[in-house]
Amino acid sequence: MNYKLLSGIGVVALAVVSFYLVNVDKDYRAILSQQLKVSHIIYNPDKELPKFSLLDYDNQAFNNEHLKGDWSLVLFIYTHCPDICPTELMDMASLKRLMEEDKTAKMPKVVAITFDPLRDTPEVLKTYISYFDKDFIGVSGEQAQIDRLIKPFGAYYERVIVAENGKQTILKASEKLPENALKEGYIINHTAWIYLLNPEGQIFAGFPSPHKPKEMMQDIKLIMEHF
Amino acid sequence: MFNQIKKLTLALAVLTIFNNTFAMEHHNAKHTATNIVINDPWIRSAPPNAPALGLFMQINNNSNKDIKLLSVNTSGYKRIELHRTIAHSGMMKMVKQDFMPIPAQGILHLKPGSWHVMLIGPKRVPRMGEKVIISLKFDNGTTQVVEALVKKGGMMKNHLMH
Repeated sequence: MNYKLLSGIGVVALAVVSFYLVNVDKDYRAILSQQLKVSHIIYNPDKELPKFSLLDYDNQAFNNEHLKGDWSLVLFIYTHCPDICPTELMDMASLKRLMEEDKTAKMPKVVAITFDPLRDTPEVLKTYISYFDKDFIGVSGEQAQIDRLIKPFGAYYERVIVAENGKQTILKASEKLPENALKEGYIINHTAWIYLLNPEGQIFAGFPSPHKPKEMMQDIKLIMEHF
Repeated sequence: MFNQIKKLTLALAVLTIFNNTFAMEHHNAKHTATNIVINDPWIRSAPPNAPALGLFMQINNNSNKDIKLLSVNTSGYKRIELHRTIAHSGMMKMVKQDFMPIPAQGILHLKPGSWHVMLIGPKRVPRMGEKVIISLKFDNGTTQVVEALVKKGGMMKNHLMH
């Protein structure tokens, strides 16, 4: 009898605590969301990033473990991009400078993953990414791995080949590039969000383009303080 | 002697006035002939292995007719194209343009995230602070030559870039 009573009390107590925790968690995210200026919380605690294995710009393995331990800012770029991608990288350099001046929070690790590993080899990324900041990490690897990794971020891209007569051929991510495409060149239409990952390596928040480093800093500090 | 000095002074004054008038006429003639004024042409500084660079500027059309920028030329690039970045279906798309329209009595602002000239395949990426000679061909038959400065720049005008 006592045992049954105790079990009953235990179950009720567990339910109350769970209900409380879930609601507190929801409240905290709702309150936080209202304070954020330029970011959206896209955190799903039950969702892990798919297992991936890529290469950093020093030809060293870069996988899920490298996105754990610290907060990270992840962006997807390609080096043949003259406009949006260098703007994003410059914005990240500005953000880093602002956070270093502010001194109240640690700048997350910046990881730039290429949409275009065929042209953006680790060697190419080393020179390109380091130009914006020597601490930024450039990541390349197999196209299939990158294509799988970008999905949970909600990032996507398409390649556009423009013939001499102006005719455009649009290739979806899964479609194979024609043989002459590398020689003739192609551009990539792509999403341009920047993502904040928590120290567990989970996607926590997203920053749509155009990016405002000052406001980004305020949001990142708020998120890191309340996490 | 005094008369000679007076004559010389007079001659000098006449020459100066004539010269100034000529120069002003020449200046005005040049100004009205072009009708296009280009402000702040700049190339965004880029990594030494950058495969493409962005060229930006403000093009003022002081005439009463719409004008089109047809092409841009500078030496040392494989190809030069006119582009516009457009946000569409959640993606940032770079759309190649046949020309750039500059409305009558209006301005076209080439800037990051918008209209821009894409300099593709540089033989050598110019360094910050360098000046690059660029020529722009318009559909009114004129060609303008400007010096574009290589400098840093993000989406917001000069934000945080010192």
